[in-house]
Amino acid sequence: MSRTVSSATVVIGAGLAGLTSAIALAKAGQDVTLITKGLGGLTLSQGSIDIWGRTGAGLVTDPAQAVADAPAGHPYAVAGADAVRAGAEALCGWLDGWFEGDLHHTRLVPTAVGAWRPTCLVPAGHTVQPAAGQRWVVVGPRRMKDIQPELIAGNLARTPLPDGGFVRARGVGIDIAARAHEVDSSGVAYARALDEPSFRATFAEAVKAVVHEGEIVALPAILGLNDPEAFADLSKRIGHPLCEIVTPPPSVPGMRLDQALRAYAQQAGVRIVLGAAVLSATTDGDRVVSVDADTAGHVTTYAADAFVLAAGGFESGALEYDSTGTLSETIFGLPVTRAPGAPVVADYWADQPLFEAGLSVDASMRPLGQAGKPVCTNLHAAGGVIGGAVRWREKSGEGIALGTAWAAATAIEEATK
Amino acid sequence: MSTPIAAAGLGFAGHELARASLDQCLKCTICETQCPVARVTDLYPGPKFIGPQAERFRHGQSVDHSLDYCSSCGTCTLVCPQGVQIAEMISQGRAVMKAGHMPLRDKLISQTVLMGKAMTPVAPLANAALGIKPLRVVVEATFGIHRNAPMPHAQSQSFEAWFKKHRPARTTEATRGKVVFFHGCAGNYFEVATSKYAVEVLEHLGYEVLVPSHGCCGLAQQSNGLFDGATHDVLKLCDDLRSAGKGLTIVSASGSCTGMLKHEAHEIMGVKDERLADVGSRIVDIMEFLWTLHQAGELPEFAPINLSVPYHAPCQLKGQRMGMPALDVLGLIPGLTVRESGQPCCGIAGTYGLKKEKYAVAQAVGKPVFDHMLKDNPGFGLCDTETCRWQIGKSTGLRMEHPIYLVHQALGLSPVSTAA
Repeated sequence: MSRTVSSATVVIGAGLAGLTSAIALAKAGQDVTLITKGLGGLTLSQGSIDIWGRTGAGLVTDPAQAVADAPAGHPYAVAGADAVRAGAEALCGWLDGWFEGDLHHTRLVPTAVGAWRPTCLVPAGHTVQPAAGQRWVVVGPRRMKDIQPELIAGNLARTPLPDGGFVRARGVGIDIAARAHEVDSSGVAYARALDEPSFRATFAEAVKAVVHEGEIVALPAILGLNDPEAFADLSKRIGHPLCEIVTPPPSVPGMRLDQALRAYAQQAGVRIVLGAAVLSATTDGDRVVSVDADTAGHVTTYAADAFVLAAGGFESGALEYDSTGTLSETIFGLPVTRAPGAPVVADYWADQPLFEAGLSVDASMRPLGQAGKPVCTNLHAAGGVIGGAVRWREKSGEGIALGTAWAAATAIEEATK
Repeated sequence: MSTPIAAAGLGFAGHELARASLDQCLKCTICETQCPVARVTDLYPGPKFIGPQAERFRHGQSVDHSLDYCSSCGTCTLVCPQGVQIAEMISQGRAVMKAGHMPLRDKLISQTVLMGKAMTPVAPLANAALGIKPLRVVVEATFGIHRNAPMPHAQSQSFEAWFKKHRPARTTEATRGKVVFFHGCAGNYFEVATSKYAVEVLEHLGYEVLVPSHGCCGLAQQSNGLFDGATHDVLKLCDDLRSAGKGLTIVSASGSCTGMLKHEAHEIMGVKDERLADVGSRIVDIMEFLWTLHQAGELPEFAPINLSVPYHAPCQLKGQRMGMPALDVLGLIPGLTVRESGQPCCGIAGTYGLKKEKYAVAQAVGKPVFDHMLKDNPGFGLCDTETCRWQIGKSTGLRMEHPIYLVHQALGLSPVSTAA
């Protein structure tokens, strides 16, 4: 048998774009169903909001200005700077006090290989802005996977800051186990252990023993997962400014943000259907009527007045490039726009045109087909599925997700008025 | 010590569907971060390691005993953004590992029908015996069933015995045709009240409810790696349910058994049988069923219930990839606030939490669920699956009810609960 579930809007995908559009519509009073194959990329993310960090000319100092100056065809130019600002403001409002920073200033955060990574909004209080002459100490548990304090410190110390100066940095390991018998714990195991006040006390003592007066203490981003007091408590105990370094997956700041935003979505009334891949869509003329999802035992048909495709890009399988050289969008079969020429070039270090491939959309975020007309009047796209940007190089992924999700939600709201 | 694939039924475990999905794994670690067992113990290295990583080296053999610490809650498969059938792969690896030296304990605790049949005629005696501490200590030492593990409460009348005698107290004619009600073994022998509520709700809504005599879905055997017995039982169950009539919707209030029929027997044990495909595509969870009725405008108005109730959506219900329909349906009751735990699993995972060596792990897994239930409740909590209710009930002292309990009230079929 098949079952039909109806909502005003169906959102596909649980990353930042999917959650943002779903929450925006639910808060506008809509009945929203969000269907997702698994947890979204947000859990793997840095937990900060990139807007625009780098161009070919180098570091961007005013991300909002870069958004306003985006070249034609870039998702920012299509969604508009207002949508990006509104999306970012909405997110900061929903998770009140979560982020600090503003769209006109780039923040630098240290990475797990010791680079200064440009971003824009960061978890409030969890980072320290570097300045020339500061003394940093990178402290990492020796028993934690993928964290090398000396490597990080060495690279931070030799990487020039935007004004040309350098921080002074040293790295030091501490021997402290997250769990008694484990010699290679993940950051999540440490973060959970640090949710416990008793372990925090032991951990803080171990850190204090190796830091010097006046040093900024950089630690892997493990300072609590579920206890919102963990970071402040550790700051107090250690008595130095603390700066979290995001680790390779698993990413604790990404998990914190994912948990908070999904909980917020559920409170706002978004119905989340986890684990169900959307298989196909049914259209009637220029409208999408429903999508079919792979629920256990039978297919469930999700009917709606509007649809948001926020399923991500190549990483999630929403876009595919197969061995015959065919580029496709895998749910609706929408046309994928790509630059002329070979999508993949043999030079490893060269720009791969494939990364810019994706859907072309109008100002309502509706995917375009032949002759530049929307394929369907009630189908919108948001986030990584939209082409025209190289997010990892630009450091623009979250900003594009927020801007396009906001533009899509606004268009859907207006269409139902 | 490695064990070659033993029985023909386990041939599936070395290859086919689940195994084919392992190349989809990107090592993103999402499963690892969400796994409720790896969260609380380092005895289990986590689903990414035990699933797609270790599977590459098994070649039809199983060498790593830590995989038995997987509780089969299925959270890893549910959260995987790449469609890797992690839990399925691990369950298959376990069946291969245990083939040939299955503990007697695991054979015993998966015989749920036997337990019910033995206990029902002597219910007061059986319940008393399970409460005797020295006896439970002996059972723990002999069989490895933890002395504090939750045990079902025997009823003196089975659901089928009640159903045969009951007459629908109709307020509505049976104008909506027939549905089959699946009670499973727990719903027949232990959770009899839930089965009664379900039947009374369906009859009130205008359905003629059919209950062909039936037994167990084999889930407990499946999760213990006893694939042959489980396959036999699930197909016998399909025959029984099909005997009620062709094409009828089968409604279930047993959250985890529904999952066994919908997908686990096929996806884990590789049962390819048209009888299973037929039943698996016709069975629906009762909350899923009621939500479909509401969507079609066929559910009457509910009477208000002014309560705030904690709820836990069981892992094996979420594993059916349909969201949390109980939240949708209970959301229609005016005045009622339902707070979901947000937790992956209560720890019991069928029979996992009964085992002596896993009891402490299961309790630690369930701790946040227990805390959620105790934080703010009207004297009871809600959960869709029988063994989870026993686990949460035993660890919290709270009365646990299936969500149908409140629907029954909201339709005026029983007095409305008030705050304790």
